[in-house]
Amino acid sequence: MTLVEAAAALRRRAVSSVELTLECLARIERWNPELNAFLTVTADAAVGQARKADAELASGMDRGPLHGIPIAHKDLYCTKGIRTTGGSKTFAEYVPDFDATVVERLANAGAVMVGKTNLHEHAYGITSENPHYGIVRNPWDLDRSPGGSSGGSAVAVATGMAIAATGTDTGGSIRVPSSWCGTTGLKPTFGRVSKYGVLPLGYTLDHPGPMAQTVRDTALLFEAMAGYDPRDPSSVDRPVPRCLPEEGELSLRGVKIGLPRNFYFDRIDKQVDAAVYFMAYTAEDLGAEVQRVQAPDGEQLNALAHLTLLAEAAAVHEPYLRKRRKTYGSDVRTLLDMGRVIPAVDYIQAQRLRKRILGVYLDILKRVDALLVPATPMTAPRIGQKQVEIGGEMEDTRIAATRLLRGFNLLGLPVLSLPAGFSSEGLPIGCQLVGRPWDEPLLLRIGAALEDRVQLRRAPPRYA
Amino acid sequence: MPSSFLPDWKLIAEAQKVELPEVSLQRLEALSRAMLGLRGMLDWGEEPAEIFRVDPAQREPRS
Repeated sequence: MTLVEAAAALRRRAVSSVELTLECLARIERWNPELNAFLTVTADAAVGQARKADAELASGMDRGPLHGIPIAHKDLYCTKGIRTTGGSKTFAEYVPDFDATVVERLANAGAVMVGKTNLHEHAYGITSENPHYGIVRNPWDLDRSPGGSSGGSAVAVATGMAIAATGTDTGGSIRVPSSWCGTTGLKPTFGRVSKYGVLPLGYTLDHPGPMAQTVRDTALLFEAMAGYDPRDPSSVDRPVPRCLPEEGELSLRGVKIGLPRNFYFDRIDKQVDAAVYFMAYTAEDLGAEVQRVQAPDGEQLNALAHLTLLAEAAAVHEPYLRKRRKTYGSDVRTLLDMGRVIPAVDYIQAQRLRKRILGVYLDILKRVDALLVPATPMTAPRIGQKQVEIGGEMEDTRIAATRLLRGFNLLGLPVLSLPAGFSSEGLPIGCQLVGRPWDEPLLLRIGAALEDRVQLRRAPPRYA
Repeated sequence: MPSSFLPDWKLIAEAQKVELPEVSLQRLEALSRAMLGLRGMLDWGEEPAEIFRVDPAQREPRS
């Protein structure tokens, strides 16, 4: 059941929050042993919250569309009285005495938390092969990666272990797992969703955001998560508009969509290419004007984003790396060590260049309303697969997975990731819609129009 | 290929008492090359104080 369907069913009294919550908990009990999507399950508290939600709804108190909806939080969000590990041994015993702003907002909106999801250690990687808490598995093929770092959240949503979930995206961590698990996710504009109480990785790159089964579900979760927070210095004080696209066939007449002729389609799997082009044709069929555009050099943008993340993550983790070095897994430790040797001059120049390239993208986004590009150049790789072949070339899996996504973290632009098709092996393919700062409502409208037309939403066969 | 324009990452890592695998050293070298090429894009006339501000387009006064 989608969030929109569950919210409607709750109001018709066709189902109760307790029933929805027990169904999610039953799925977790049945499937989490093989999928490893959850690190902590808060079953008793969840049932208590669901009872309260049912009582409030019965008394006429309606907190909005999330009221009584079972959700999961990535275990990077601080939860009062509930262990928050960041997927690490470093914080294995950390029990916050406060809620992250997003957790607080969703609780106030009546959402029911069923648990905390597994992730790549410290959210610093895209495989979710966690050395401390085990490998998260892709429900479309258990031998494949679900992507990361928000892998547990995507798996939970794809299998109905939660109706929706929170994620974070520092270099693609919402969009990689959304793409590989056939779900939807939004990396909002930087400053739109509070980072307060979310364990940091890259100060200027971290974006908390929603993950859900459909674009409309994503819109509802986003509306509840977003908004100014004085406790987060990077939070921006501007109103959050209504984002939920209306029901019924949406026209895209008057919408201009840019399809880059360079970089984003240069070296990708043929099936990914075909799926994203199909989305472009669909947009045109819905009335959109699709234009070819020239994007700035993506490799250069990626270099700046990678350098920035290496340096910022090393700064974030410096005290812990010094005192608790042995608590880190080898791949994350190596990345943090790389960050320690980045020259300060390079970091500063990267920030200057970042601003220039943002200007180029903003110019493009004056001519078109959104860009349509693939999310990842390939479908989910096998667990442990270090290299992938794309377009006849071997490439590091981690670098390949993030090369079409990472740059948008540097630019802070909003990006919606949604399903674009399936490969011949039955694996999900994802695409991205990139918009102007604060233009999440338009991205969600375009995404909903495409989703309604292509009808790609389905559960992984084993978990239907 | 070593270049006099690029840092010797192995020496830098040793000086920092950091041990990095070959693949990481190669990645750092690739980043240095990219940065070297990108320096041509820098605007040397820009106001330095602007560098670390959020882009004005994304900035709104707080109420």
